[in-house]
Amino acid sequence: MLLRIDPTSAEPLFAQLAAQVRTSVARGDVTPGTRLPAARDLAAALDINLHTVLRAYQELRDEGLIELRRGRGAVVSEHAALDYAPLRAALAEVVRTSRTLGLAPETTTALLKDALSEETR
Amino acid sequence: MTTPPTPTVPHRTASTLLALVLPVVLTVATVVVALSWRDDLPDPVATHWGADGPNGSGSLDGFVWSSAVAAVLLAVAGWALAFFAGRAATTRRLGAGFSLGFAGFLSTLVLGTLALQRGVDDWTAAPSVDGVVLLTLLAGLVLAGLGAALSPGDAPEPTSAPVPVDAARLPLAPDERAGWVQHISSRGVLVVAAVVLVPILLVAVLVRTPAVVVPAVLVVALLVASMASFTVTVDARGLTARSGLGWPRQHVPLDEVVRAQVVHVRPFQEFGGWGYRIGRGGRVGIVVRTGEGLLVERTGGRSLVVTVDDAATAAALLNTLADRSRVA
Repeated sequence: MLLRIDPTSAEPLFAQLAAQVRTSVARGDVTPGTRLPAARDLAAALDINLHTVLRAYQELRDEGLIELRRGRGAVVSEHAALDYAPLRAALAEVVRTSRTLGLAPETTTALLKDALSEETR
Repeated sequence: MTTPPTPTVPHRTASTLLALVLPVVLTVATVVVALSWRDDLPDPVATHWGADGPNGSGSLDGFVWSSAVAAVLLAVAGWALAFFAGRAATTRRLGAGFSLGFAGFLSTLVLGTLALQRGVDDWTAAPSVDGVVLLTLLAGLVLAGLGAALSPGDAPEPTSAPVPVDAARLPLAPDERAGWVQHISSRGVLVVAAVVLVPILLVAVLVRTPAVVVPAVLVVALLVASMASFTVTVDARGLTARSGLGWPRQHVPLDEVVRAQVVHVRPFQEFGGWGYRIGRGGRVGIVVRTGEGLLVERTGGRSLVVTVDDAATAAALLNTLADRSRVA
């Protein structure tokens, strides 16, 4: 599995890692039952602190996306394979509409973030 | 584009000494010693043992010389591998280990079984060989390890030549770091091991010679376990493939990467089987299945193949990171 980080980005490293795993699962690149790289291997490969990787993995576990098992490492959960097709279709609609309106991508993402935080409130 | 001339195989003197001269000297010494015992030995001598003691005999000359010829032929084979194809340290170590290991095994076998029979009047009265068999296994392993350990390693061979333009790349921002980690495990290797080992163990228990068979089985089991699973990593340090047990391990630093690409691997045609192997032309292989694999061409005319999924990403990342290391 390919993972990348940009140390110059404002986004924390653990969040960058977690976001990539989420995307990979959502796109179906990583299927349930797949083992993620051992935290120690990944930390060494990216030359970052082990705890950064562990924090990313813990966040993904709290979301139910992966399971952390002693001795087996991080495994993508069985129920992580949601059907993302309707969401993808809806997102395509959002993209199309915002292009028609000539909105900047930043405006659209701001609106989307707003809508998401409305939901949780 | 012209391909650079293939460099000559390094360390040929050391390979000849370890894989040919030493095994031959050992074998000649064995013949001399064995034949000097002629007057103390029964005629014929016991040459084969079953669970209940000796069950086969032969002439001393036939026994000693056939073992010596076998040892020399095996040594020539190991030497040829190291001498003609030994561009990578792994290949030279395998050649020297093979030659010396078999020479040690056969010498101990001949001298051990004959030493038991000195002063014995008739071959049927020869004592049990269990101890000798253990000793031959041990001698073979120790000398094979010695041959491998004494073979000279690879000196660093960095290159500043750019990675070919037509090799695959991966988009990577200047500040971005990337790492690719993949596990490979071989059910095939484990299944084959079980199919081979379980009957051997059963036979050993049935004929009540566990003392001989169990250590041999343990050695084989350990070898198999070491080749059953690997972690393959591509990052700023280069390519690393490491067994779950820690050994074997192969590492190609970025500055020795000539180019990386995806290949289709056929274990039997190219490497003669599965595992940690030397293939055609001295190519080093970590080959656990048929199919997709990563081929890394390395400086010094060396190359490494690892059967791994998603090899295209690994090859593209390795080429990209190698590029980066050349600029710096």
